[in-house]
Amino acid sequence: MDFKLTEEQELIRKNMREFADKYVEPIAVEIDENSRHPAEVFKKLAEGDWMGIPIPTEYGGAGSDYLTHILAIEELSRSCASTGFTVSIHVGIACMLVLLNGTEEQKQQYLLPMAKGEKLGAFVLTEPGAGTDVMAATTTAVLDGDAYILNGTKTFTSNGPTGDVYMVFAWTDKAAGRKGLSCFIIPRGTAGMSAGTHFKKMGLRSSQTSEMVFKDCRVPKANLLGKEGAGLVMAMAGFDHGRVGIAAQSIGIVQAALDESIRYSKERIQFGSPISKNQAISWMIADMATELSAARFLTYHAAWLKDQKQNFSKEAAMAKLYASEAAMRHTIKAVQIHGGYGYCKGAKVERLFRDAKITEIYEGTSEAQRMVISGNVLR
Amino acid sequence: MPNIVACFKWVIDEAYIRKGPSGTLDFSAVDYKISDYDRNAIEEAARLKGFHGGSVTVLTAGAPAASKGVKDALSRGADQAFFAGDPTFNQLESSQTAAILGEIIRSRIPYDLIICGEGSSDQYAQQVGPRLAENLGIPCISYVQKLTIGADGRIIAERRVEDGVEVVEAPLPVVVTVLPEINTPRIPGVKDTLMASKKPVVTIKKEELPPVGAARLQTLGMTATRMERNCEKFAAMPEGIARFVEALQKRGVIN
Repeated sequence: MDFKLTEEQELIRKNMREFADKYVEPIAVEIDENSRHPAEVFKKLAEGDWMGIPIPTEYGGAGSDYLTHILAIEELSRSCASTGFTVSIHVGIACMLVLLNGTEEQKQQYLLPMAKGEKLGAFVLTEPGAGTDVMAATTTAVLDGDAYILNGTKTFTSNGPTGDVYMVFAWTDKAAGRKGLSCFIIPRGTAGMSAGTHFKKMGLRSSQTSEMVFKDCRVPKANLLGKEGAGLVMAMAGFDHGRVGIAAQSIGIVQAALDESIRYSKERIQFGSPISKNQAISWMIADMATELSAARFLTYHAAWLKDQKQNFSKEAAMAKLYASEAAMRHTIKAVQIHGGYGYCKGAKVERLFRDAKITEIYEGTSEAQRMVISGNVLR
Repeated sequence: MPNIVACFKWVIDEAYIRKGPSGTLDFSAVDYKISDYDRNAIEEAARLKGFHGGSVTVLTAGAPAASKGVKDALSRGADQAFFAGDPTFNQLESSQTAAILGEIIRSRIPYDLIICGEGSSDQYAQQVGPRLAENLGIPCISYVQKLTIGADGRIIAERRVEDGVEVVEAPLPVVVTVLPEINTPRIPGVKDTLMASKKPVVTIKKEELPPVGAARLQTLGMTATRMERNCEKFAAMPEGIARFVEALQKRGVIN
């Protein structure tokens, strides 16, 4: 057993920490406040090859592994969970979907610019009536000559307003059930596809989220990703990858909550001594550090399994479930440690607290993760 | 096209040093980094190569674990590295470091320009650069905040000295020690780090070098500095301000 990262992984992690400290941390409050997508940061992320770490170099990526991508997401999320998430869904789901299922032409045309960070990917599955219940989706794709015609409305699309390449799921044969859903690669600007306005969210505010409307949207047959009817299997595999990213984002949040809590509890004097001397506070911090370590090992292990080309579906769900719930539990504690100051804008823990909640919801709710895990262990 | 050598030291990242209860320093969880100003030295070498072509060689002497530092340095625009690694090189003093670097450069690396950081993040003795120049019998320009290579191949350096800026020029080869103002070191991208592992590294064993002699400097102890912090609050009222002035006078801050 070897718990050591490679020298390259350690250096890359350190470089991302420096990047985040220099370019992301100083604007994190502002982009949260204004719900702004920091295009200038994404330009720099692209220059440093951070937008396609696990994608092979021939397709525009850095040619590294999934664990290294996960380390970068963790460090980035420590400064800003929104920015970390945007990279995570772009790489973990959009890029991975094309890498794993695309034709050579599709990889050259869509994956290459995405992995280089020139174009931003989006994952378009959820509908107003179809969240965890994917099968309740109603968007259809009807073959008409050499193209599919898509109709329907999607919602909660991350990178919806800012995306360039959309992975859109629609029924090609509703009657075929689980084998009737297909995935299409649709570039921004395609007639009949439009993004609604950005949702105002409680947290994760600089990540842009919207409805996506498809009205007689004509998509060439060449843009079908994988085989017709393979959409559900591809989406689930995409989630496996994405969930490790959300786990990493959650770890970044907990690490930041821990850092802030340690700093503040040592500085804050009440009854004549730092509050860190109080057992009530120090035990909260002990639990935070312990669960952070546990979440980190689950997450790195899931990423490691992926890199070893082993099945990591259950481990991804476990990592995501545990890390996201740890993020919620401990950002609540971090605000508690900060008292009134933690409840005010400007305190980092206030933002962490709001950002943490979504990690228990998207890319499969905690309940959906438990379905995946129990389905695996009760088999 | 100049052959540029940038020297660096792999040091403890001071951000990880923790202070024990009685002022002792806890090094149990430290990470290491390229000494701050040495990052500027490497960056300047890479920047000049960008203008004039040539080659950049990075060079260090240190403990075997500094191999990570060699990769770090190579990810910052260098072409190759020379690494003298030995467990006993962990605590070299400046004269020993300069002797080792001098020997390696003289015997193994063609050089026109050698760049060092003005001082290291840990000791800041400012000795290695000048001693290295002496060892090689070439000039040394210290406190450099701007560096250019003229068309005639002479180097022009802006030195930040106490009362202003001194501009000097010298024929190559020369040793230059740089200040942090000279440039902003890059943050290496993912590919830079991955490519670094594929660049040539010449590893030199202690046995291949002439003996450096015993260290003349001994570290007897290290303790954290103590900073007294006092906080007194005064009301923003005439009587409060009077008490404030009084308190400042009592402490000798004002007369």
